[in-house]
Amino acid sequence: MSAMSGITAASATVGADGLALATRGLRKSYGSRRALNGLDLSVPSGVVYGFLGPNGAGKTTTMRVLTGLIHADGGTVEMLGKPFKRGDRRRLFEVGALVEAPTFYPYLSARANLRELAASGAPVSSKRVEELLDLVGLCDRANDKVQGYSMGMKQRLGIAAALLSDPKLLMLDEPANGLDPAGIVAMRDTLKALAAQGKTVFVSSHLLAEIQVMADVVGIIAAGKLVREGPLKELLSTQGVIKVRVRPNLVDAAIATLAPLAPAERLTETDRDEGWISVRLTTDRAEDVNQKLAGAGIYASGLESGTDLEMLFLELTGGRGPTGGEGAFVGLGALNNGAPAGKGTGE
Amino acid sequence: MRLFFSGFRKLRRRPATFVTFGLLVGLLVLIVLAVGATANSTSTSDASGRAAARELLTFPGAYEILLSFIIGLGGLFAMIYGAAIAGSEWSWGTLKSAVTRGESRVRYMLLTFASIGLMIAIGIVLAFAVAVVAGVIGANLAGFSTSGLSDTSTLGSLPEHVLKGWIAVLEEASLGFAIATLARSQLAGIGAGIAFYFGESFASIFLPDVVKYMPFSVANAAVSTGSSNVGGGGGTIASLPPDQALLLVVVWLIGSLLVASLFTDRAEITG
Repeated sequence: MSAMSGITAASATVGADGLALATRGLRKSYGSRRALNGLDLSVPSGVVYGFLGPNGAGKTTTMRVLTGLIHADGGTVEMLGKPFKRGDRRRLFEVGALVEAPTFYPYLSARANLRELAASGAPVSSKRVEELLDLVGLCDRANDKVQGYSMGMKQRLGIAAALLSDPKLLMLDEPANGLDPAGIVAMRDTLKALAAQGKTVFVSSHLLAEIQVMADVVGIIAAGKLVREGPLKELLSTQGVIKVRVRPNLVDAAIATLAPLAPAERLTETDRDEGWISVRLTTDRAEDVNQKLAGAGIYASGLESGTDLEMLFLELTGGRGPTGGEGAFVGLGALNNGAPAGKGTGE
Repeated sequence: MRLFFSGFRKLRRRPATFVTFGLLVGLLVLIVLAVGATANSTSTSDASGRAAARELLTFPGAYEILLSFIIGLGGLFAMIYGAAIAGSEWSWGTLKSAVTRGESRVRYMLLTFASIGLMIAIGIVLAFAVAVVAGVIGANLAGFSTSGLSDTSTLGSLPEHVLKGWIAVLEEASLGFAIATLARSQLAGIGAGIAFYFGESFASIFLPDVVKYMPFSVANAAVSTGSSNVGGGGGTIASLPPDQALLLVVVWLIGSLLVASLFTDRAEITG
């Protein structure tokens, strides 16, 4: 992806509550399996919204409902200030979407694919196709058949396809899939630029680090329900981690010393051999931790503090996928002991 | 209209278009030239064989036989073609892309079929032109007269026969289109369509009074002019009068498109 020439400022269309997208009580079942269980999302206008959740949590189902590919069993969707119901397909004229893998006619070139896709939905000028090919860095290969494209190139083309109508609301499902590092950086910059110009970017991803550097607001779902939503900075400010390193033989003493500062479940030894302990406290408490240890005659040889979306994610989602979902990895300890999977230390 | 022309442009570049047309025309030319080249050879000692060759390569009667061949075998190819186009919209996920852009599912499918219809019309006309040229060459190889080429009464009736043939082939294409839509797959649609085609022929042995109302049988009956039907499914069984058959062809055509449209409109598009 290269220049930003394909992006124009949005005249934001939002609801009275300033939301570009809102779902209320969204429900969807596949047979007896409930994929969405009363999902309430509030996506503010003009932000990059990171939509997170473990495998099988309902992210893709949500994207499918929001793009009219499937229909919800219940609940409401409001898109760009207006209700989006079954049959309201014209609402999607102002929406761009890449749901799951990008799809194209393999025997057509990238340019031809975009031109033919532009014949559906909202009218698009042929100039726009050229702008987007330039934006995603496919100009040199635009006349090659898509069947010869790498996964990353198809992904770039998929992003270009989602931007065809110069959408006010852009919904992308795992947009970084297959992109090389340079492509990921360019994609991130493009999405941020879109949000800066008043457009709303809704990104579903499992790459937490990517979302952490890109999103303004995040929503985390588990088992088809929203478990946390809000500005990323606000969420992370309550989710600090202070890591302190002491002599390995003093780990137990250090934990006992820090007990008054944090409850037991927020105090963990992360590496006994190296003497690392994690204390989940806001980062401004690092000094208190150091002082407390020093007061007990335990001197830290290392102290780090920061915030971590991954930790927040694991805490909120239980560190595993839902029962009956797409499956979950289990800790080695759980495999050995027959204990249920969890967010344990893997002892 | 932009969606219709887009559909046509996509078909124009699609390998399946050339493969289907090439197979039909290739088989036709091969058969006609082979008949022409061997019509008077010593190996063709059978009098009835020579008579059949003369019937195939003597104009103006050859016009009807060649057209019958194109409509008959072309019907099977059209069904496969219709299934390939509809099935790929699901298996390649291109229908999904259009739907997420706010395109009407029903409009998309119907206009896709309309572009297939135009492509089939062009294919029939081109195949007929090639067949006539091959017929003339075959007649010359066999030493038959081609003086009937300009028979005005036959030439005058050809447009009507071509039109009826197009509707019949279109109906067979719509059947493949509907089956592949229900199967959401190219291969499943093509396989099921071919099974239906030959199944109908086979069933005509046991259930002729039922099969004569079935799609491939009515398509053959609708274009029947009393000449031999070549390559058509169920072509040898008791058939309906052409006008009645044509009406049923239209019913099958509309029914197939209705099924494909309703299914697409209500389908949950996943994957």
